[in-house]
Amino acid sequence: MQATKVKTIYLSLLLAFIGLLLPWSGFMLTIRPDFLLLVIIFWLIRAPSICNLGTAWFAGLLMDLATGGIFGQYALAYTATAFFAVMYQRRLVLFSGMQQLAYVTLLLLTSQISLLILKIFAGMQFIGWAYFLPTVSGVFLWCVAVFFGLNAAGRARGD
Amino acid sequence: MARGFNQKFEQQQAPAFFVRGPSVFARLVFFAALSLALIATDSRLQYLKGVRQALMSVLHPLQVVANAPSQLYSATNEYFVTHNHLLNENQQLKQRALKQDIALQRLNMLALENAHLRKLLEANQSLLERSVLGEIVHVGRDPFTKKVIVNRGEVHDVVAGEAVVDGKGVIGQVTRTYSLSSEVTLITDKSLAIPVQIERNGLRAIAFGHGRDNTLDLPYLPTNVDIRRGDKLVTSGIDGVYPAGLAVATVSQIEITADSPFARIVCVPTGGVENHKQVLLVSIPQLGSPEISATTASQVSAVAVSQVKVTPTLAKPENQQASPSSKLHASD
Repeated sequence: MQATKVKTIYLSLLLAFIGLLLPWSGFMLTIRPDFLLLVIIFWLIRAPSICNLGTAWFAGLLMDLATGGIFGQYALAYTATAFFAVMYQRRLVLFSGMQQLAYVTLLLLTSQISLLILKIFAGMQFIGWAYFLPTVSGVFLWCVAVFFGLNAAGRARGD
Repeated sequence: MARGFNQKFEQQQAPAFFVRGPSVFARLVFFAALSLALIATDSRLQYLKGVRQALMSVLHPLQVVANAPSQLYSATNEYFVTHNHLLNENQQLKQRALKQDIALQRLNMLALENAHLRKLLEANQSLLERSVLGEIVHVGRDPFTKKVIVNRGEVHDVVAGEAVVDGKGVIGQVTRTYSLSSEVTLITDKSLAIPVQIERNGLRAIAFGHGRDNTLDLPYLPTNVDIRRGDKLVTSGIDGVYPAGLAVATVSQIEITADSPFARIVCVPTGGVENHKQVLLVSIPQLGSPEISATTASQVSAVAVSQVKVTPTLAKPENQQASPSSKLHASD
């Protein structure tokens, strides 16, 4: 059971990463949700013993590599987000659907804002409010996933 | 009943749920420190270049997988293109080739003439660029920068600093090379500066990318500067990185306000910064290098680079001051 779960987790993370590597461009690139972070948040809530801060940090490092930015920026943003997810994981499991959604929104914003701060420190320029669109599309994607029966709290309670 | 309750209670106390190794806060501190160390190392020191290249080559298969669907789509589209369309296109291309042939003949004559005149003046300028044809694989994923990834890398002798041009003008500069691909920063990126010259009057300036929309700025020019709307900017070549005479941008807007000593000049890039797929990576001009690679000579002439073929016998030491490494790009 544990072995299959580990496999599922890493496979889903890999698929999310490939989703980010797809040749997005123009407006689609602006609204592209952060698939990888969404999947990480999902597994952080559902299987915190397997998917943890280290996983988030490593995934962030891969993102740094894929975006060609300075190493450690995405890694730090993902780690901070994962910290807040894991801190309240036990309460999150008990939350209702709407409460969970609100919390996921906050988590996505945490990642984007910390990344923004890091990028601005590195000398980049704020690119306008469209920067926060991935959070909106990410929340939408989360809703769709919940609608189709994906339950983040699901087994963590019964296990 | 009581036993059942006890069992349930004990099960709830099962440690598996609570055992998490080091505390979450300790992990946060550890990984945050690691990230900050990486940020500092990568932005200030050069140690991680090799690591990045190695990891990129590991990532390359994933990239190929991710690009496969769109490539399959475009390949299918190409396959089902109509006969008529091809004939039309062929016709157009033939006409264009004819026109360009005529222009090229004149250019060759002028180049020879120029060479003779330069010999008479004992000046030496031998700009022989080698170039590699590349294709844009995908747009950079960082929303903060304007970058594209081209499918030519160190294996194809691409080095960081090379100019990237399309049929119409300069679109950017290679800023990082991997083994099989390289990263091109577009001229509209905020961190890229390119030395230009106004074609009409030869005024030199430096154009900076604007960053947010697809424009370039010409800062630090006084309000009384002789620039008009529609003026063409070409590379000046004094940086030793870009070959001289390549089209860069057209002036689209000039604003002169009373409260600023500088004019605000906005230019639109000539090259298709956002819409071309094939690009040419022109290597850094080697002053006084005698040999021309036969395979690439035709490609160079296709871009109509103003190249002058002069024997390097008259090479003067002061002509070599523009070293190939004098890169103007402030890499992030």
